[in-house]
Amino acid sequence: MLISVNWLRDYVDIPDSLDVRALAERLTITTAEVEGVEQIQTGASGLIAARVVSVGPVEGRANLKKVELDLGGKSANVVSAAPVLRVDELVVFAPPGASTLETGKIKSTTIADLPSEGMILPGSAIGIPAADQDAIFCPPSMKPGEAIDAAMLEDWVIEIDNKSITHRPDLWGHYGIAREVAAILGKPLKPYPVADLDDLSDKKLPEIPITIDDATRCPRYSGLKMTGVRAQAAPLWMQTRLGHVGLRPIDCLVDLTNYIMADLGQPMHAFDGSRIEGIEVGLANDGETFTTLDGVERKLSGEALMIQSNRKSVALAGIMGGLESEVAEDTQTILLESANFEASGIRKTCAAIGLRTDASARFEKSLDPNNTVLSIQRFVKLASAEFPDLRLASRLSDAYPNKLAEITVEVDPKLVARTMGHPVDEKQMIDILTAIGFGVESKDGKLSVAVPSYRATKDISIQADILEEIARNVGYDNIEPRLPEVQVRHFAANPQHITERNALRAFCLGLGYNEVHLYIWYDEEWLKRLGFKPEAGPMLVNPAAAGQEQLRSSLMPGLLQAADRNRFHADAFKLCEVGTVFKEGPDSKNQSRHLGLISARRGKGADDELFATLKGDLETWAWQMLGCELQYEHAKDTATPWTHEHKTANIVANGTSIGTVSVCPLAMRRNIDEHLSAWSIAWAEINLDQLHDFRVESKPLRRVPEFPEVELDFSLLIDATSPYAAVNDNLARFDDPLLRRITYVGAYEGKSVPAGKRSLTYRVLFGSPERTLAEDDVNALKTSFEKHIGGCGYELRR
Amino acid sequence: MDVGELQQTLDKLHQEAKGELAAAKTLDELRSVRSKYLSKTGSVGSLMGTIKDYPPQQRGEVGKTLNSANKAIQDLVTEHTDRIGSAEVAADAAASTAFDPTLPGERTRLGSVHPVTAVQWEVEAVFERLGFTIEAGPEMESDYYNFEALNIPQMHPARDLQDTFWLKNGMLLRTQTSPVQIRAMEKFGAPLRCIVPGRCFRYETIDASHENTFHQVEGLMIDRNVSIANLIAVMKLLLNEVLQREFEIRLRPGYFPFVEPGFELDIACLICNGKGCATCKRTGWLELLPCGMVHPNVLKAGGVDPNEYGGFAFGLGLTRLAMMKFGIRDIRVVNSGDLRNLVHPARWAGPVIVDKG
Ligand SMILES: [Zn+2]
Repeated sequence: MLISVNWLRDYVDIPDSLDVRALAERLTITTAEVEGVEQIQTGASGLIAARVVSVGPVEGRANLKKVELDLGGKSANVVSAAPVLRVDELVVFAPPGASTLETGKIKSTTIADLPSEGMILPGSAIGIPAADQDAIFCPPSMKPGEAIDAAMLEDWVIEIDNKSITHRPDLWGHYGIAREVAAILGKPLKPYPVADLDDLSDKKLPEIPITIDDATRCPRYSGLKMTGVRAQAAPLWMQTRLGHVGLRPIDCLVDLTNYIMADLGQPMHAFDGSRIEGIEVGLANDGETFTTLDGVERKLSGEALMIQSNRKSVALAGIMGGLESEVAEDTQTILLESANFEASGIRKTCAAIGLRTDASARFEKSLDPNNTVLSIQRFVKLASAEFPDLRLASRLSDAYPNKLAEITVEVDPKLVARTMGHPVDEKQMIDILTAIGFGVESKDGKLSVAVPSYRATKDISIQADILEEIARNVGYDNIEPRLPEVQVRHFAANPQHITERNALRAFCLGLGYNEVHLYIWYDEEWLKRLGFKPEAGPMLVNPAAAGQEQLRSSLMPGLLQAADRNRFHADAFKLCEVGTVFKEGPDSKNQSRHLGLISARRGKGADDELFATLKGDLETWAWQMLGCELQYEHAKDTATPWTHEHKTANIVANGTSIGTVSVCPLAMRRNIDEHLSAWSIAWAEINLDQLHDFRVESKPLRRVPEFPEVELDFSLLIDATSPYAAVNDNLARFDDPLLRRITYVGAYEGKSVPAGKRSLTYRVLFGSPERTLAEDDVNALKTSFEKHIGGCGYELRR
Repeated sequence: MDVGELQQTLDKLHQEAKGELAAAKTLDELRSVRSKYLSKTGSVGSLMGTIKDYPPQQRGEVGKTLNSANKAIQDLVTEHTDRIGSAEVAADAAASTAFDPTLPGERTRLGSVHPVTAVQWEVEAVFERLGFTIEAGPEMESDYYNFEALNIPQMHPARDLQDTFWLKNGMLLRTQTSPVQIRAMEKFGAPLRCIVPGRCFRYETIDASHENTFHQVEGLMIDRNVSIANLIAVMKLLLNEVLQREFEIRLRPGYFPFVEPGFELDIACLICNGKGCATCKRTGWLELLPCGMVHPNVLKAGGVDPNEYGGFAFGLGLTRLAMMKFGIRDIRVVNSGDLRNLVHPARWAGPVIVDKG
């Protein structure tokens, strides 16, 4: 929202010496965020009003007009590019010798072979950018030749971030901002200039019959009929100010309502008074069509609140008037509406019909119902100065069935000071609150704070709200930072956090993985390339892009996509992601945290090696972070395209299956891209939620044995099809009092191993706590172990 | 063999050993020469076993002869050990042109955490030192926790400010980490100090400075007598620690329904040090984080008595902070999975000699 500093000066004395930028900074830290400050400089001098005497075409130049002007006692001929000019109207004119920054000094010249003695100025040259190339018309009260006061054209404009005032209905107009500025500067706020209410309430005048069907949706409706208005230009000071805050001057009546909206924040609407007798505020008929004054026919639901006359809709309440009842060129009588509508109803209707207006944007903020009457008083005050024939055609009629509750908040000044962490005394609090319109009574060490109506619609209702008013006016920068003094409390560690941090530490800091963060939704196109159809999962109503509806159930598609992206720039890489995967169902429990790993290398045939090193990485992590050894089970479920039919294992930790490790089959790599067939990719996906109870326990360390132990290696020839785990189980059955430990050394398939066989090497440790083993002992143990191996059906490899 | 012959044999062996020891160039060679003569099976050592073959009256003399021969060779070994040892020590200490101690080490390929994780860990470390616990919460969240319980009822205009990814099952993707405020209060009650790092989602168009998926860290402190002065002090501490510089910060009013009063916290622009530049829109300040004193309704929703306890909360944009710290200009990099953007090239390429960006 744009705020004109000239406008503010109507209500508060802002010293000329005060830098507007400094004022804006104070507003930012006290009230609302200022997004920018702009100086409006037109550099105008020597401008006068000129009456259009005649308008004629310029041959061959459709965009130009030949204009004769009355400059008051003398005339001038000019060629003008103004799109609209009407005979007898007054325009802002720059005679030769006048100047503006945009046009430079005006000289008598020749345009299209015609003499042109001056320039009908476009709005853009005098600080009304919204009017662009249009001429600016002067009100009929001005005379041809009358000098135009250039001072009002120069201004400063402060842009307030709308988002920072969504909760402050009072700040949607200059008067509200002026109140804040007055408090900031410690100056009085001038009373709001309005027509006397008594004069508008003359009982001799007829009352407008107003019926409100739904007092919740429309707490208040005020109206006043006036006659003696006519189509004419608004005063130049008003047009300029509207221009400075980004509005386009149109016509005195429209400009007046726009001005008051920017002044007080209260939207108003003028109906053609000759077409409307009484007012009813009620719901639209479901399916009703209504043409708003922008000419659009709109289909309404039965929830839309309408202004009706004789039960015929004349306006979409709080949003836009109807085309039919619009004020026209020949309107002499208007019915001025100033009403209060419930915010959420307006929001709903706006959303339903897809139309937001300056008016609805304000009503959505919960406006002060007291502003309905106040704005009408203001209108009369301003309009009387412009329309000499203005007469009341009704008394001010006011239906106020749903009175705003008065709010008084009990405030404990000690608590306020304590919560601020800053010494503020009661007097300072009272001064601050009074300056911004609060009524304060001090009683028994407590403050009873009456909230003004413009802050009472939803903004302020509790002590914390009052605290904010005090604290922001004291100035947050005046509060001395101080660390809290607290009692120590112990919190049990969050296992999710610990598990995730440990996984990242192990894989990314220790094992050479690069962490990535990927999107949590699938991309249909990419799934197609993978050849993957996921099971039903949570679907987004409003996806970021078409085809990105479904939330992921696995980290692998994303990681594979990242791998596919990175393969262009690296010959080998290891990726890691810790992220959320989802299951369908309206419960936050339907999601878990996964760890995804990819190890990729350019070159065919490295599958087995990558598979083995990836498992090695997993085992390192398991030892360091889970405190356990991992086991693998040959996996049967190989449903996803990135799972190899054969080279896949379930990862088991302490008897729990925690994930899968596999290599990407060639079929899938081919599906993605032929080039990927020359790559080897191993991957693993772990459900971290199952690891919360894992602890690295401090196992007692082994004492160095008193008597030397003997280590013997045994290589077994086994069927290549028999799984490692089964061999282990068999070896583990060997029992001897001198056996200390059996460990796996490695596997070998190669020249010296017959086809269909695999050699597994184990290291067996023998020892006694009582004596050194004799050669005979060792030989006996060796024989005994070899016998056990034979008993299991395994051959020894010599 | 009589004693005389023994002496001759020993003298011969002594001469042989002397020659071989002198020829030895390494300690290993020396060791094998020593073993050849003096070990149990060596040519001198094996003679020791013959003492018992002599008549008892000669055994004393034979023993003496053997021992002195043994000692003589052992002395030679010791002498040559010193000779070779000191030569090796000298060689070891001698400068070699082939060795440059300033060359970089040989590395295994380095891994890396995501820039956001790196910053997250720093923030976590600061708060762990202040006795805050670290919590987590779900990304698929209910309307209740994301909005209702945070004092944002249906039709509240604040819902407009946070464009939400809605799910067909009625849930939503959390727009902020704030729902975990409620979850943490439900879990721990008061007093409470926690932070919650995590991913958030907003339905908005992606460009160089907007992402629909980003990280925040929520902070919540609830206790008796928590003040605005405390909030400012903690925020200042956090930023100074994480950015490793002393920073001007300022609070100004900001509206967030779950705090009252609510603040926007700005830091002096990192680029221009507060003088005003394009990055800070000439204001000299960068908007960094929203914060405030926890709204009584939020405390109530979390089961905490607002008459007894109060507190502060903040929501720091981790992604923003990571971008500032790592000089990431385009936010789209963050979720791209493109290692060229996420990993400093030196991690992969080896030590950098010239770096012009
Ligand atoms: Zn800057």
